[in-house]
Amino acid sequence: MQISAGLIAVSLIALVVRDLNLGIEFEGGLAVTGPNPAGASVEDLRSAAEAAGAGEVVVQMIDDGNSFRVQTPALDEEPEDAFLDGVAAVTGTPRVELSVDAVGPSFGALILRRSLLALAVFLAAVTLFMTWRMEWKMAVAGLAALFHDLIITTGVYAVTGFEVTPATIVAILTILGYSLYDTVVVFDKVGEMVSDYGDRMTYSDLVNRSMNIVLARSLNTSLTSLIPVGSILFVGALILGASTLKDFALALFVGIAVSTYSSIFVAAPLLAAWKETESEWSGRRRKLSSKGASTVADVAPEKASAATASKPHRRPPVDSTDRPPRRPGAGATPRPPKKRKR
Amino acid sequence: MRRRLIGLLVVLVIAWGGIGLLLARGITPKLGLDLQGGTSVVLTAPADTDPEVLEQAVEIMRARIEEVGGVQEPEIAISGASTVLVQLPGVEDEERALNAIGQTGQLSFRPVLDAIFGEQGPLVTTTTTSTSTTVTTAAGDTTSSTSAGSTSTIASTTTLSTEPGATTSTTTTLPANVDPLTGLTIVDDPAASSYLPSTGNFLGQPVPEVLYVGPAELLGADVADAIPGFDPSRAQWVINLDLTSEGAEKFATLTGEAAGFPSDSPQRRIAIVLDGEVVAAPSVADDVGLEGITGGQAQITFGGGATDEQEARDTAALLRYGSLPVAFERSQVQKVSATLGEDSLRSGLLAGYLGLALVALLLIGYYRAMGLVAVAGLTVFGALLVGIFGLMGRYQGLTLTLAGVTGVIVSIGITADSYIVYFERIKEEIRSGRSVRSAVDEGFRHAFRTILTADTVSLLGAGLLWFLSVGPVKGFALSLGIATLIDIFVARVYTRRAAWLLARTPLADRGWLSIKETAQ
Repeated sequence: MQISAGLIAVSLIALVVRDLNLGIEFEGGLAVTGPNPAGASVEDLRSAAEAAGAGEVVVQMIDDGNSFRVQTPALDEEPEDAFLDGVAAVTGTPRVELSVDAVGPSFGALILRRSLLALAVFLAAVTLFMTWRMEWKMAVAGLAALFHDLIITTGVYAVTGFEVTPATIVAILTILGYSLYDTVVVFDKVGEMVSDYGDRMTYSDLVNRSMNIVLARSLNTSLTSLIPVGSILFVGALILGASTLKDFALALFVGIAVSTYSSIFVAAPLLAAWKETESEWSGRRRKLSSKGASTVADVAPEKASAATASKPHRRPPVDSTDRPPRRPGAGATPRPPKKRKR
Repeated sequence: MRRRLIGLLVVLVIAWGGIGLLLARGITPKLGLDLQGGTSVVLTAPADTDPEVLEQAVEIMRARIEEVGGVQEPEIAISGASTVLVQLPGVEDEERALNAIGQTGQLSFRPVLDAIFGEQGPLVTTTTTSTSTTVTTAAGDTTSSTSAGSTSTIASTTTLSTEPGATTSTTTTLPANVDPLTGLTIVDDPAASSYLPSTGNFLGQPVPEVLYVGPAELLGADVADAIPGFDPSRAQWVINLDLTSEGAEKFATLTGEAAGFPSDSPQRRIAIVLDGEVVAAPSVADDVGLEGITGGQAQITFGGGATDEQEARDTAALLRYGSLPVAFERSQVQKVSATLGEDSLRSGLLAGYLGLALVALLLIGYYRAMGLVAVAGLTVFGALLVGIFGLMGRYQGLTLTLAGVTGVIVSIGITADSYIVYFERIKEEIRSGRSVRSAVDEGFRHAFRTILTADTVSLLGAGLLWFLSVGPVKGFALSLGIATLIDIFVARVYTRRAAWLLARTPLADRGWLSIKETAQ
């Protein structure tokens, strides 16, 4: 939690202090077009632009390479000069024959507005779905983890100054889905543990135990997702030098890693701490400790059944077909009993 | 046993055979503008166009191309002082897409003052029949049923004021925007009367005609919404127009005036004109009284064919988002290359394959025999995904951009996760004392429930993004949604059967590779 708080603080400060480096698609810039007698390739033009300090550029060859079009972010006079010289040198076209135009954003306000609308509706729908499928506190804890992931990922862009392109936006949306997906899998397990052992463990213990069970799954899953993305990021972008790819691969990489982390270390503890304040669960904690039952995560099944003598001796996890009777009357429960069909 | 085996084989044959067949016929996913390039067109507005007007035009263009569909992720940006650069990925029907973007889309409802059969306006007929100076009635009295003979009558009317045979004088009697060769209006000004070519109806046959129409009484701005649809009673494609309250009044006045003419009079007709072209010119129905058609609903009818459907849909898209505030001139279409250089693409693909190979190794190394099931399952998943993208590229114009590829990469993670959730569940069940066989069956029921819950969240996101967003975000949502559906499908029809079979082979509980050994 301290780590998360620190990362969020750094991210927020970075977002405030340093603006995000928005790409041409958002801010527009310069477009240079001209013939290409020297037969320069996309890569030639890109490296020429980068050598001149033009930053992220979008290069296109027109009519099978007979002419070209390079877009750069708006430049100061000096780099613009160097950039034009560079382009002229690579393409073999004299500078005076290059046509230079201002370009507006292609990822316009409409796209941004619609995406934000979609995002808001999505969050509302997910909250409803998780409330219906699990419970509303889980939905809120899941959303908290989600915002944690989003803030840290955008923070990485603010800190590194990597360019934000439409692909980055997409990657961030991906993380959103991914983060929720992770949290849903974890909470699904917690819900199952609660209905199986809810009568003889404290909520924190249930959460803890669920974490131990899903840990292998969480780690393996994030590995299988991180490997392709990481391979694009490290092999593709950093070693082979495909700079366009690194923009989105970075967001994905950080986001997936952070969301796996947050589903276990943010969402789950948050949920546990919150549920412990409910009278039902704080009552159970008192009862369990007064009866001398251990409250640590690895509570032995023998001890657990000693505490509630009427329950049959079982080893976790149980099959629900012969589940023990539901926990005895917890009157003040705000949580509706889970009706699980198995 | 046999049934499940056959079921499994059917799935494998469909997935692997299907993709083989598609690839053999050259149906592969189409790549987007950033990955494969496309075409580029420059639209030029009049030189002194206000930048704000230009921006407004671009927003309308974006909304329209979205509506027309079939074009994934075009790039539309203002470039220079008064030009808009439009880039489209390799779309099937380029002309259609370009029309949706660049057509002005000025709609007007205009009273028909006269209908003249033939392909030419009044002037040309004057030159040929200028000697017959028959003084006749005013043009308005000619009925729509008159045939070619009456054309000369009208022609003569125009020359009435001048000396017979003097063709030069006729030019002075007509507005400047009328072409002296065809007698048709060149630049259509909705505020002035015009001669517009149209298609009339003579004894049930479509024949060319020229309509002389008055100034527009109802404009595109009076349309609140335009919805294309099929009218089953007439077997025709139509656009239903919802008019604004002001538009409804104008429409009632317009139709009421027309209803005052006899039912065979051309003046009972109303011309629906789009960018100077008559889309339709129906007569006001006989039962309409002088109060006109009230209720604020108007309808434009097209034919009943497939091209008519497309025309109805495209036109509705033009009308819904209003006309462009300025008229653009279209440059020549140019081919443009991918913005992602070939080197980038190659290294990205290489990295992607490498990543996939590592994932396969990890799955097999960790889950051993079950890992094999997962890797085979991933190929089923991949085959279905590529196949569907290929088909959608061919028939729906779907293109895969970097954003779409991102969706696919993420979905690989999600689908690998489905296996991991399942296998972990099997291990759990075995550790709690179940036999391998019952652990595999019981585990699936639990795992599938988890997979469904988690996939529902993904689907929810994909669906909402698809319906609500535009541009690259939409492409991403589509590929994520398709991949998630395939994931559920594969889990249900492939994974369950494959694991079931595996549990009944020696790999279930004997040897290092076995499920039982993996669970320990």
